[in-house]
Amino acid sequence: MIEYRNLHKSFGSLHVLRGVDLVVPEGETLALLGPSGSGKSVLLKHAIGLLEPDQGDVIVDGLSMSTASARELKRVRRNLGYVFQNAALFDSLSVAENLWLAQCDETSTRPLRDFCDDAIELLARVNLEPDVLAKFPAELSGGMRKRVGVARAIASRPNYLLWDEPTTGLDPVNADNIDQLIFDLGRSLGVTSIVVTHDLDTAFDVGDRLALLFEGRIRAVATPAEILASEDPVVKQFVRRTKIIESALH
Amino acid sequence: MESGEGWGAVVTVLFATVIAGIGDMLRFVGRCTLMVGQIMKVLPRPRLYVTAAFQQAYIMGIASLPLVLFMAFLGGAVTSQQTGAQFTGGLPLWVVGSVLAASVLTELGPLLTGIVMMARIGAAIAAELASMKVTEQIDALYAMGRDPVTFLVTPRVVAGLIAFPPLTVLADAMGLAAGWGVGLLSVDGLTSADVVYGMRYYFRPWALIFSVIKGGVFGLAITFIACFVGLEGRGGAEGVGRATTTAVVLTTIVLMALDVLMVPLLKAF
Repeated sequence: MIEYRNLHKSFGSLHVLRGVDLVVPEGETLALLGPSGSGKSVLLKHAIGLLEPDQGDVIVDGLSMSTASARELKRVRRNLGYVFQNAALFDSLSVAENLWLAQCDETSTRPLRDFCDDAIELLARVNLEPDVLAKFPAELSGGMRKRVGVARAIASRPNYLLWDEPTTGLDPVNADNIDQLIFDLGRSLGVTSIVVTHDLDTAFDVGDRLALLFEGRIRAVATPAEILASEDPVVKQFVRRTKIIESALH
Repeated sequence: MESGEGWGAVVTVLFATVIAGIGDMLRFVGRCTLMVGQIMKVLPRPRLYVTAAFQQAYIMGIASLPLVLFMAFLGGAVTSQQTGAQFTGGLPLWVVGSVLAASVLTELGPLLTGIVMMARIGAAIAAELASMKVTEQIDALYAMGRDPVTFLVTPRVVAGLIAFPPLTVLADAMGLAAGWGVGLLSVDGLTSADVVYGMRYYFRPWALIFSVIKGGVFGLAITFIACFVGLEGRGGAEGVGRATTTAVVLTTIVLMALDVLMVPLLKAF
């Protein structure tokens, strides 16, 4: 379970998070929506300890990320996968080495050549061919880098996945593929996910629940159907495009 | 009254600026100390970094060797030429050999190597790590449960300790050879026997050991500063450029300061 408790975070005079309370139970996929600059990525980074709150706490797998020791943080992070908005692949390493690094820890002695079959399988899950393994990130398109980033995040078979705009920059076919992957990981393997997205299709396709971050707080958190039926004017404005499309189809 | 108030405001602003500067410097030193502590914790576990350290040392050493040797050549050449040019007949010519040996072993060899490596390796490391910082690759390392100090910094710092001393020795050899050869060509009346006699008159083993130690200390300083400044980078491409410039400027100052501080060590033996 991932639990945010009264989370506050400021950057200088900018008070981004103003008391966020949110619980993501085991096995749930939560889609996190909100206006650009509302702090969605900031909220996500707190769950993996990349940011420390000014006030409040984040509890992951029973561990407080604010007070955890370096050893405890390392242990939790090995069980957390993070898909970065811009992939954040290591430029000086090949795709194979990027995946291998995520799959093993510092003390692992498993050589890269033994990892080949696993790497091919990981790439297949994100619809990439094996010949990508030998390439370096600079040789890949933006969409391919994004998909390798997803493959890297799931390489260690984590129980928790944090997705920061996983389908941004992808074509509709590959975006669908990633949506399906998020869905399968949650339903088949019980992975707990928080998916930050602007893509309402992705949010409604993969989310067991949707949460709307607005003005530093969670404005609404509910099932997709409840969100669509919400009378809250802010929520209505956010999902209005989806409603227009739905009504055009019926 | 107004003049007094004006001076009061100036003094207040100056005082606040100085205090803020001292505070920034103390925080900087504190963060440096923390990183040194983190490196010391990793050092007793060589399996985590030794392979990467030797790879980095190979890159640092082999890739930089031609430039280091070229600069050492120029340093040795100008030393013997300048020494010879200063003579008015009051000193025997074999002093050229002594001055050459003393200058190259204690100063030019390590310092020129350090300056070349700072510009070539230090700047590259700072740019690489700053670039990784601004593109979230450092965050990605943390997210994987890996420590950037273990994975990135320690191998580079250890590589500096491995690569710089041999480069310094090779630079010393090239500087002495270049000074010898150019001296014969440019200093009237100078013979090889003069140069050899002068070098042997000055030379003691501690001078060479000192040169190697200096090379190692410079190597540590260059790689540590580059890594530290690189990991502090922020702000996109401009931040990468700023980190690189800061690394070069700071390393230059530190190398010169270390050069001065190590003189008593030379005199100790």
